[in-house]
This record gives sequence, structure tokens and C-alpha cells, in this order.
Amino acid sequence: MMKKFSIVAALTLGALTVSTAQEASADPTPVASTGRRLNGLPKDKAVRHRRLLVRGRFELAPLFESTINADFRHIIGGGAKLEYHIGDMLSIGVIGVGSTSVNTGVVKKIIPTLMTNDDKIKAEKGPDGIAGNSDDVYIREPSREEFEDHLNKMPFHGAAYVSLTPWYGKLAAFSQAYVAFDFYFQAGVAFAQVTSTCPSNICSDTHPGTSVMSGTDTIPPDNNPNNDPPLNSGTKIGLYLGGGIHVFLNDFIALDLTVRDYAFEDNPSGADYNANLAVTDSDNRFLHHLFFGAGVSIMFPTTVKRTP
Amino acid sequence: MKPLRMRSLHRSALVVAALALAASPAFADKGKKGGGSKAPAPAPAPAPAPSGGGDAGGEIEMDSSAPADSKPAASGTAPAADGSEIDMGEPEPGPGDLNADIAKSDAANAAAIKAGPVTKTKLSWQDIVVVVRKPFLKAHRTELMPMFGTTMNDNMVRHYAVGGSISYFLTDVLAIGVEGFYYRPSFREPFDLVARQARRLPTVNTYNWSGALDFHYVPVYGKFAILDRKLVTWEVQFTAGIGAGQSEVEPRDKKYPGFTNLLIEPNLGASMRFFLAKWLTVNIGVRDYVFLDKFEPVNRAPGMNETAAEAKDNADTKLINNVMFQIGLSFWVPTGFEYTTFR
Repeated sequence: MMKKFSIVAALTLGALTVSTAQEASADPTPVASTGRRLNGLPKDKAVRHRRLLVRGRFELAPLFESTINADFRHIIGGGAKLEYHIGDMLSIGVIGVGSTSVNTGVVKKIIPTLMTNDDKIKAEKGPDGIAGNSDDVYIREPSREEFEDHLNKMPFHGAAYVSLTPWYGKLAAFSQAYVAFDFYFQAGVAFAQVTSTCPSNICSDTHPGTSVMSGTDTIPPDNNPNNDPPLNSGTKIGLYLGGGIHVFLNDFIALDLTVRDYAFEDNPSGADYNANLAVTDSDNRFLHHLFFGAGVSIMFPTTVKRTP
Repeated sequence: MKPLRMRSLHRSALVVAALALAASPAFADKGKKGGGSKAPAPAPAPAPAPSGGGDAGGEIEMDSSAPADSKPAASGTAPAADGSEIDMGEPEPGPGDLNADIAKSDAANAAAIKAGPVTKTKLSWQDIVVVVRKPFLKAHRTELMPMFGTTMNDNMVRHYAVGGSISYFLTDVLAIGVEGFYYRPSFREPFDLVARQARRLPTVNTYNWSGALDFHYVPVYGKFAILDRKLVTWEVQFTAGIGAGQSEVEPRDKKYPGFTNLLIEPNLGASMRFFLAKWLTVNIGVRDYVFLDKFEPVNRAPGMNETAAEAKDNADTKLINNVMFQIGLSFWVPTGFEYTTFR
């Protein structure tokens, strides 16, 4: 009698133990490589009942953008980005920014030290004040106008990109404000419209760096890059990289801070870079244009779902 | 013998049942849901109505001077306000005096219940503090951080800096520390372009070293998930400090000597700290070192600012913001910590 009871009790105990283990894990009990029996927690999601702040939502963000540490001209402007979040971590988007250009401190320091164009022309005529004589002087340095009119502007730029959001979380500020945030990284195609406004009386060289025939005469290059057209206008296509952070103020509004790099071939000074005494396409080089952007992202639809 | 065997059988059955229950929390859960045969825990018994000779749970002081024919507390008598003490010497209304009973009852109710609109309060929820253990405590620990830095806002010279800091955390959010850097300059593209294209030699200073006494405050604490798998905690630290440094003039014409400047450098900054282990963190931040620097005078020729002392006396002074990006790996001493519950 006692033996029967002990067997029944042992079977009951075993059955209960197995039942407990199965209930603790939805998966069949996995066995680690060490042979230890584990529950399903190591394979589980890190966060449950998480608000899906981006998945399946459109993001529209009016934004402000400015260059970081520009060489000759700061590019400052406003625009917008439109992004669709395919999933929690993947999204596609476009950004466009209209900008104005402001001379950097370097340019502001250089310009007052240069001669005006009129003064330079007079000085180049020599002591007799007549051009074409043997006393003409070649002045290598540019005039104020030649220097400033060669600098390019970037009235419009933007990118089409794919964005990856591998990090998300929440933070407590001063133990009072609890907000969600995420970090994202972007890569895509950059485009930029660059212009320069050098008038024909300043950039008057019609054959920079080359010889031309005039009747039976050959006119050699003047070896003066200061009067060459800057050749830095047009549409540029290149590489776009970015990284930023969303700080969610509520379920559908977030502060968006981003550092963006629009990299493309450019010659920002519009001057002779490779020292061949002419401004040509060969003076272009692949440059990184770093921008800092700040915007307010609005998510559509404004309601948010949760993970299981 | 038989009764004894039966008793031992019952004992072994109880042991087996206890083991089964201990091995199976789910079993207990089912029991709670009503599926089990166990009866729920008995509810606390209501306090009995105060009556003469009854034990109300509190202390009842019987008036020893009461006459022998005094009646015990009548059923309609209001209990004492605190419910724990009943004054049996209180004069009793006459039997059957309903109006007096009602009036007394109303008065007691009015005193017990505050008139006015019923308002919901979250006081009880605010009292409940759910605290997830911070995985990393810094109080009374020392942070040793070798660092690397680079200039962010100088388009002529980029400085690369190596250095370190030692900080002692007075609390989990406040720290005091010292830092030091050694700088190496690297001239950027515009430095050459300005000379070649605009025929102008830039006036620049380079930095040699700096040191500072810093105060740190950590107001922001958070965590994030990487690829929805790995949780990492991080925090934001603000820093303010005061220190000194040295800059050196790069002479435009190398035949003239340069000179050095001792700088007083207040600094402000913010950084993020990512916790990797109990003794290891990664810090990334930005710091703005503000100082008045002296630059080589524009007019330097034979007989004019020729020597370093003359040039320094006639130097141009300018307020400089040297914004540095810094990244470092922190080692914490002691390497472990004893957990303290925060509220």
C-alpha cells in the first residue's frame, strides 16, 4: 500500500515539475550547449508592450540646418524631411533644404586686406597708367571681387536615403521627465545645387589654361586664375551619410537632431586648387559638407500601437 | 503498531505534497484562480459591535465607579471616535429617545465625514515607487579615463589631443575631477588654400597642453535596446570647470620667433556615458574651452615687433571658443560596488 502510494506521489511530483517547466517557457525547453536546461528568456524580446513610435508611420519634419566648420561660406537654411518607417528599424526618406550663404570668419578677414577691382586694374597698368605697355605689372593676388565672386553658394541641397534605427530606449531627465528616444543612421544619395555669381567683367577669361587661335595668331593662356570662370555651378550628385536622435515629446511629436554629411565633388573657393594657374574641372575634389540639423518630427497617424 | 504506521504514512504524504507545491509555482497559481481545491485565505473577521463585556479588539475601560444597576452600552450608542476606547461613564440618553439618538448619530457622522465634493487623488499611486535596480552605481567610486579629443570648430588648424581625467563621485550624480591634455596640431586645407589662392598668410596659434579642475553633474539617465535584444544603460553628464593651458604662436615668417601664452580656460561641456561592465564605461562628449588668446601682430618687420617679447606686448587678443569632441574609456575603482536601493 505504502509502495503504491510512494509511486503515485513520485509520478505526481515528476508530472508537476515538467508542467511547471513547460509553463515557464512558451518554447519547448531548450538545452544549452553546456547541457543546462534553460527557459526561453534569453531568446525573448528585450522590451515588451513597447510603444511602436515609428513603425508604419510617416514622419514629416520641418527642420533647420547649418554647416559645421565650413571653410569659406556657412550654408544656413530651412527645409523638411519626409520619411516612411517600414518597420521598427528600417525607413526610407527624402530631405530637401533651401539655404542662404554667409561668409565665414576667414573670408571676412581676408576681404578687407585685398584691393578692390578698380584699384587692382589701375595698379596693373603700371606707373604710366596705360595698359599694354612694358611697365605693366602682373598682380598675382585676387581683388576683393575676384576672390568673393568665385566662392560658391548652395541654394538647395538634399538627399534620398535609407535609415536604420538600431537603438531605442527611454531616459529620465532630472528624475522628472521620462521620454523615449532612438538613435538612427542614414545612408543614401546626396544632391546639391551650387552656384557662383561671377560677372563677365570679373571672370573674363574665355580660354582658361588653354591656347586659342585668333586668325593666324595663337593666343596662349594668360596663366591668371583670378579672372577664370569658377566652374563650380551646377547640380552635384554624391554620397549622403547621417546620424541622429529622436527625442519623443509625446506619441507623435519628437525633437529631431541630426548630423548630416553631403559628400560630392566641389571646389568651394572657385579658385585654382591644383596650382596649374587655371581654374578647370580638375580643381574639383570630393569633399564632405557637414551639417547640423534640428527639427520637429510629426508622426502620422498620430495614434500609436504597442508590441505584444 | 498499525495506528503508528498510518501516522507515518500521513507524514510522508504531507512531505511529498509540500515538495510538489514547492516545485510548482504554476500549481499554486492555478489554485488561486479557483481551479484548486484549496480554500482561499479567510477574510479578516469584522470587528464586533461594542457591547458590555465584549472584546472589541481595542481596550475597553469599564468605569469601576458605575453603579451596579448601570446598563451596558446600548446598541444605538455611538462608539468613540477612534474606535479603540469607549467611555462607559458618558451619560446615556433615556431608553426609547429616538430623536436624541438620531441627533447624536448625525453629529458623529458629520464629524467623521467631511462635507464637499468627492475628488479622486493619485496620492496612493505616488506613494508606490517602482524602482528598477540601477545596473551601475558611481557613488564613492573613482573614474580613471584616458581620452582622445579633436577640434571641431577651427577651419585652419585641427588639434588632436590625448590625455586623461580622474574623477571622484561624491554621490551618484555629483563628481569632482581633474583632467589634462597634450595637443598636436594638423593644418587643414584652407590654411594652404588661403596662402596660395588669396596670397594671405593666416595668423594661427596652436595649443600645447591644458589642464582643468572639473565638476560633473549627471541629470539624465536612460537605457536603450540594441536591435531589440541587448539593453544598454547610459547617462548624460554636464561638466563645468576651470583650468589653464598654453598656446603657441605660429609665426607667419619663420625668421621671426614665436611666443607662448598662458591661458586661463574655463570650460563647459556635456557627455554621454555608456555602461559596459561594472568597472568599464565609454564616454563621448563635447567640451567648450573658452579663453583669451594672444595672436601674432599683423605688422611684424625689422625693427617692428621683431623679438618675441615685443610681439607679445603688441599682440592682438581675441576670445576663443575651442570646441573639442572627446571620447574615452573609463575604468572604475573599486571595480565593484554594493547595491543600495534608491528612492
